[in-house]
Amino acid sequence: MYSVNINVFQGPFDLLFHLIEKGEIDIYDIPIAEITDQYLEYLEQMMQFNMNVASEFILMASTLMEIKSEMLLPQKEKEDPRQELVTKLLEYKLFKDISEKLREYEDESSYYFSKPKEEIALTSDVQTEQLSLGEINVYELYNIYLSLLKKQNFKIEKEEKFKVYRETYRVKDCMDEIIKRIRKLGKVSLFNTFKEKGKISKEYAITFFLALLELANKQEMKIYQDHAYSDIIITG
Amino acid sequence: MNIKSVLESLMFAWGEPLNIGEMSKLLNMPAKYIAGILDEMIREFSENEDRGLIIRKFGNSYQITTKKDNYEYIQSLLQNTVTKSLSTAALETLSIIAYKQPVTKVEIEQIRGVKCSQVVKGLLDKGLVKEVGKLDKPGRPTLYATTDEFLRHFGLTSIDQLPSIDIEKEEKKAT
Repeated sequence: MYSVNINVFQGPFDLLFHLIEKGEIDIYDIPIAEITDQYLEYLEQMMQFNMNVASEFILMASTLMEIKSEMLLPQKEKEDPRQELVTKLLEYKLFKDISEKLREYEDESSYYFSKPKEEIALTSDVQTEQLSLGEINVYELYNIYLSLLKKQNFKIEKEEKFKVYRETYRVKDCMDEIIKRIRKLGKVSLFNTFKEKGKISKEYAITFFLALLELANKQEMKIYQDHAYSDIIITG
Repeated sequence: MNIKSVLESLMFAWGEPLNIGEMSKLLNMPAKYIAGILDEMIREFSENEDRGLIIRKFGNSYQITTKKDNYEYIQSLLQNTVTKSLSTAALETLSIIAYKQPVTKVEIEQIRGVKCSQVVKGLLDKGLVKEVGKLDKPGRPTLYATTDEFLRHFGLTSIDQLPSIDIEKEEKKAT
């Protein structure tokens, strides 16, 4: 590991200003050839350190070289090729100075403390607590579940032994069933399927629904629903 | 009803800078009148040396904060506070928005010489700038301006409190 002591510049103007200040150069009479060399040298360094040289820096390099070549041409009564660059540099400098001023203000205002906005519940009997799922773990959720059951006067019978039943319905079977029905009927209504079965168990409903999701996941069929809680239509 | 007492309670309960329009609506009194009373309260709070709180004004919003003199004590109470200061890129972008508002991203980028999308997004998220409309030019670019939160962050009473510069003049000086 080695530490790299290299200034990070906000952009090409920032870098140019650094070079101008370092060289104590008169901004209205920039020695373009010299500055261009230094600028390119810096870019080289950046690349050596594997820093990501943004395209803006490259653009500025080509602008500098363009100005440099224009300066070599015999000057007519026309504008100084450096003019536009200087104008932009000065404008940037203006805002850079202001941003330093803002930094001072920011430091100053960090001496004052205030209270963050709080959510104040006005009615004490309504306890609405915002829980974000990311912050809650299974045990907390379990405790909330228990307290809810208690509030509603539900009782859970504690079973000492657990019985494991054989699956009555399998997702795979349900999938086959759905596919078969679709081939026959073209489309299948979830509500009608359940109705036809007469009395259905919770297990069947859940398995059927899982099969549906599985099929959708495999993109083997399309599922439609007009609005929440309405019938679900499955088509091939 | 004691107006000053009510206003103090409101500002305490709200915590964040409270807009004068809100207070005027709650008290059913003209905003101008309340502004006068708040100015009086600002003076009274700061003149009372025995109290640790002051009222600060940010644009059209007012907030109860601690006194600067007590900074050290609060700082040691809050040991691990991280003072969140903005990046140089954010500050440069903010200064351009503050002085040129309403301003488009392209204008900011022209001055800074680098892309600003990420920075502007960050400033929007922090509530320091807001979108104030679209420029009536091809592409209808979004216009950005600073918010009251910007003033609060930098402890400014109003945008006029920023150091005055004559941008036009500065630009002419260069030409």
